[in-house]
Amino acid sequence: MIDKFKQAFQEEARELLAELESALLELDQKRDDPEVVGRAFRALHTIKGSGAMFGFDDVAGFVHNLETAFDRLRNGELAATADLINLTLAAGDQIKCMLDQADGRATVDQGRSASILAELRQLTGSPDPRPEIVPVEAAAPEVTAGGPAQEWRIRFRPGPDLLLHGTNPLLLLRELRELGQLRIQLDTAAIPPFGELDAERCYLAWDMVLATESAAEAIRDVFIFVEDECELLVERVPDQAAETPAAAEAPAAAETPAAAAPLPRPGVPEGRSGVVSATAPGAASSIRVAADKLDQLVNLVGELVTVQARLSEVAGRRDDADILDISEAVDRLTAALRETSMSIRMLPLKSTFDRFRRLVHDLGIELHKEVDLTLEGADTELDKTVIDQLNDPLVHLIRNSMDHGIETPEARRAAGKRPTGTIHLSARHSGANVLIQVSDDGRGLDAEAIRARAIERGLIDGAARLSEAEIFSLVMTPGFSMAREVTSLSGRGVGMDVVRRSIEGLRGSIDIASKPGAGLTVTLRLPLTLAIIDGLLVRVGDTHFVLPLANSLECVELTRQDILDAHGKHLANVRGELIPYIRLSEYFQMETARPEREQIMVVETELGRYGFVVDQVLGDHQTVIKNLGRLYRNVQVVSGATILGNGTVALIVDPHRLVQNVVETMSQQQRSPGRRARRSHKVDRKGSK
Amino acid sequence: MAKVILTVDDSASVRQMVKFTLADAGYTVIEAVDGKDALSKLTGPVNLVITDLNMPNLDGIGLIRSVRALPAYKGIPIVMLTTESQDARKQEGKAAGATGWIVKPFATQQLLAVVKRVVG
Repeated sequence: MIDKFKQAFQEEARELLAELESALLELDQKRDDPEVVGRAFRALHTIKGSGAMFGFDDVAGFVHNLETAFDRLRNGELAATADLINLTLAAGDQIKCMLDQADGRATVDQGRSASILAELRQLTGSPDPRPEIVPVEAAAPEVTAGGPAQEWRIRFRPGPDLLLHGTNPLLLLRELRELGQLRIQLDTAAIPPFGELDAERCYLAWDMVLATESAAEAIRDVFIFVEDECELLVERVPDQAAETPAAAEAPAAAETPAAAAPLPRPGVPEGRSGVVSATAPGAASSIRVAADKLDQLVNLVGELVTVQARLSEVAGRRDDADILDISEAVDRLTAALRETSMSIRMLPLKSTFDRFRRLVHDLGIELHKEVDLTLEGADTELDKTVIDQLNDPLVHLIRNSMDHGIETPEARRAAGKRPTGTIHLSARHSGANVLIQVSDDGRGLDAEAIRARAIERGLIDGAARLSEAEIFSLVMTPGFSMAREVTSLSGRGVGMDVVRRSIEGLRGSIDIASKPGAGLTVTLRLPLTLAIIDGLLVRVGDTHFVLPLANSLECVELTRQDILDAHGKHLANVRGELIPYIRLSEYFQMETARPEREQIMVVETELGRYGFVVDQVLGDHQTVIKNLGRLYRNVQVVSGATILGNGTVALIVDPHRLVQNVVETMSQQQRSPGRRARRSHKVDRKGSK
Repeated sequence: MAKVILTVDDSASVRQMVKFTLADAGYTVIEAVDGKDALSKLTGPVNLVITDLNMPNLDGIGLIRSVRALPAYKGIPIVMLTTESQDARKQEGKAAGATGWIVKPFATQQLLAVVKRVVG
């Protein structure tokens, strides 16, 4: 059981350390905010208190010194200096290391602990602070046997407010009785006439004789909570007088404290105590669950969705009203279950984003650059799996911005910018995707320089004509680096291609937009979830495809006549708006007979509205995404596959990538000016955000 | 009928320990994360409040004062969790109307002994 507590403490301590870190970084901005100091103090206080409780004495001892410093900070005896904040940040890391050591994952550098504490002493000017941690065992008051039985005379006259402070004197008498044989005489002399009696005050006193083997301390310990608001006398009865005078006179009559019980317990009205379990709500508003259990749940739901699709299929074929009825009910339940289990896995990006404050703070010191990190949309929720894998790419992007993007304060002043650079991290929803942007107001990318570098490295042909976006995407080619010299942070040419690979591993995509001198924006486009999506099932010939429902706008018919009207161009007139379309059978080079009436799925992509022409739109479909496997990793227009009710496989089309792919192919083939204009327009739009 | 104990602490691990220990001994335990939360949970019968002192929103002292001002709860036992370095806070808590205290770190037997002393 204690191990369980230990683990709970470790998890909690890690959360508290994150809280401490965020408070410290905020403190760095507003040095005198008592609220922020209070947050930092509370985090330290709790780590210390709980740490000592669960046997993390090293942590508790270490934190004690920090807690003392922050207590003085709280009381205004110390000032929050940058040194103190940085030292506390370092101490936080050291505590993390201690927690890791308890897990057997790291070894604590004791020298470093000592040097942090020494530095702290120097900063706070406090005398050598001693860790005040008392081990749990030592604090336990032992009822020590005091040798042979002794008789003690005890007089207990509580203060009038005893009952108001929640003390029930009967329980104290009962506890005394557990120490040995007890004789009690009640003193009712102080009870006033009825008219003056205040039912909430205590007017009683007790004279007792206790025969016990315990020592006087054990007796006094019973009264420890009330000793300074009562008259208490504990004295040893001389051995000769075995019978106490007072008790001897009326031993039996006195021993009826129940009769003398002054009042019913105030505060608990009678008749209300019968509904305890029914009215103990909210005992746990949240619980912790291991992440792999959630993964398992989602996998099972995925299987269930697949089976349900088979059921629908069979029910549809049988044409049996009863089965259809059941199938529809199961369908609804599965959809609800799917939504619930997916939402359990959704986490806000906040914790990931918050971590970058520290990164930016530390890198700023290292690189002698002044940078503000602004966050937007940190409440945006994403599947936990995606969030977990997002950290490294984001760290990389931020490092790149810090190292290559943001200039030194001097260079910024010379360029007429604010000396403090800004990195803006934002997240927002867009259909079934989340867009995460990292933008900085640094020097940006120089398209010509990248082009020259790429030619020099033999990545492109000198005669190649490339759009700006294509040039920018060259920095994500393996082995490409713009850094003049290799710094400790980046510039080894293994940067952006790794970012691109991991984002693509998440079925996401990455775009770069930049204006020389004005900054750089990297946009990551990520699917909300990696497991199950709402899709629209369509048919082309005998083959099925799934399009994500979140991006789909409407379905319209495309007749032969429409095609004639457009003079063979791939444009459809949808209520006056000309929508370019892509025929899936042509794109995938499928040899199927074109039906008389085709259907167009109008889809909103980031490049505008596009139509996808299919033979037939079959309806919505809960789509369990299966990976295509390593062989198909380079296939970009298909984001996965799913298994249909009849066991066949349908490919899941990524509309955005498909449109991008078509547009790129066409611009390469034709270099039509119209297409170019569209693409550079897109880049401008992003760059100006 | 099991006695109901409200444990108030911003540290989840302490709450968990208190809850396990007391539930194991047959008490019904309600949890609250700070003083404000605790006040919102004082709706049904509660026989004892065990509260930490340092908490956000409403701290332990504030909670004790507020509970003592509630007609239905003003006489219930309240035990505060203190650390040995908080003697001034302990006095403040007693002045506010705390029934007793437990010094952190504490072992489960100590917790049980104190609970038994104040609620039986």
